[in-house]
This record gives sequence, structure tokens and C-alpha cells, in this order.
Amino acid sequence: MLAHTFEAAGFSTVLVTNMPYWAEKMGVPRTIAVQFPYGHQLGMPGDREMQMTVIRAALSLLEDASEPGTIRELDIQWPQPFDEAKKDWQPLEPSPIVARMLEQRRKAAEQARGRGGP
Amino acid sequence: MPVDSFTYLPGSIANYYRAMQTQRIDPIPWTPLSKPLTESRFALVTTAGINVQGLEPGFDQDGERSNPTWGDPTFRRIPRDTTQDRIGAWHLHLNNRDILADVNVVLPLNRFAELEADGVIGSLAPTCYSFMGYQMDLGEWREKYAPEVAGLMKDEAVDIVLLTPA
Repeated sequence: MLAHTFEAAGFSTVLVTNMPYWAEKMGVPRTIAVQFPYGHQLGMPGDREMQMTVIRAALSLLEDASEPGTIRELDIQWPQPFDEAKKDWQPLEPSPIVARMLEQRRKAAEQARGRGGP
Repeated sequence: MPVDSFTYLPGSIANYYRAMQTQRIDPIPWTPLSKPLTESRFALVTTAGINVQGLEPGFDQDGERSNPTWGDPTFRRIPRDTTQDRIGAWHLHLNNRDILADVNVVLPLNRFAELEADGVIGSLAPTCYSFMGYQMDLGEWREKYAPEVAGLMKDEAVDIVLLTPA
């Protein structure tokens, strides 16, 4: 949505995302897709080379893309083991909405037990 | 291998996202490059929920805690010469550790300053921006805050925007 607003306002935009699903679904002018965990769109902290690789791909896409909706996927391996990376990006405490959902599930389970359910 | 948009999400959240209805905008807006990158001014915009401590307050975490379906829709200015020690991180849906270690993972200020120094790009704009990406309703972004940032970027003669949704 920000990409739409800025592109329509006269800026050329390029999005770097780990969720190209949304870029395709919503229709984004130019997208670089990375298989990186959330909060790390440009790469690992302190890894200048990885960050520049992503940025240079974004710059190339700005120059190459000839039509809106272009998505270019980068094949950069995230250096952490997957299970570790999947846990590592998540907040130390559940976000408020997730905490609420967990509480609702806990109450529903208690009520089910109270009725003699599983 | 194609990028899997859901691989890092817990299963229930992935299912929730897959089921979400979104509105596709057609035709997709399109602004071709008007000048070479070597003459272009870039602004960086992230939704990682960061601020510059002492410049503007952080994003409203208490508001989100008291109403978990609400996310702070406002934005923060991040001047291009902001040093790492002044970065604050407020997103409640991320582990902000790596952002606080190296802001370039979401807002590559130093990388773009280097590209400017090397003549790869024309310049990095004086001001970059952060939104906070947990938004159940995009109305205020669409109607108020995104247009406001667009106006600010126009005032600084920005040509190109790098967007990094967190």
C-alpha cells in the first residue's frame, strides 16, 4: 500500500520483502524477494556484503523492470539453521494480539474440560 | 528455489494470512525512472517501527497493548546521519535485537551513504522514514500518513523510494 501511494505520487519505488505473496496479490510496482526472516529484509547484522548484494539487486531492478508487477527473487542462503532462524526473529514476549488469541484458546480449553470434554 | 512467503511464520498465523482478503489495485501505479541512478536521490522507508531517540517519541506500544487490534499508524523521521546508538525499536511483533545492533538490516542508511560516496547513486535524502507495520486497518496510512510522507519526500527532491516492510 505504501508502494502504491508513493509510486502514484510520482516516485519510482522498489520493495524488498520476504513475503512476495502480498506483492503479487496486491500488485506492487517492483519487488525484490528474499528468503530472510522477518525484521532482516537487507540481511544479517554487520554483514555489509550481504546487505549490498540485496541493495544492488534492488538498484538493478529499478533499471531493468519494464512493467509494473515485476518480482525478482534472490537466491541468497540465510546463514542460520532454519529452526533457529524461525524462532530467533519472533518477539521475546507474544505480541498483544497473539497473547489475546492464546488466552482465548486457553479459556476455551478450560471450558471444554469443565464440560467433561477432552 | 522460489521464495516461500510463509516459511518463517507459525502455522496458525500463516493460515490467517492466507485467508485474508486484500484488494488488488489495478492498474498498478507506475513511475518510470526519470534520470539515471547516478543522478537520483533516494529515500528509505521501513515499517520496522524504529525512531531516533530524543528526536521523536517511540511508537505507541501501550496503545496496542490496551487494544491489540490497533497499531500505531504514525511515522517517524530518521535523519540520514543518525548513529546506531540513537536508534530505538518499538515493533511488538519482532525480536528487535538485530535492528538495535545494525539498523541497516531494515533501513540501510550507512549502505546508501556509501553508495552516494562511491557515485553509484546521486544522493541519499536528508530524511528517511519509519512506519510500524502491524496495521489491521490501512485507512490512516492511505488517507493521511503516507500522503504526508510523500509530501515531505517531495520537499526534499526525492526521486526513488526503497521500501522495506518488516
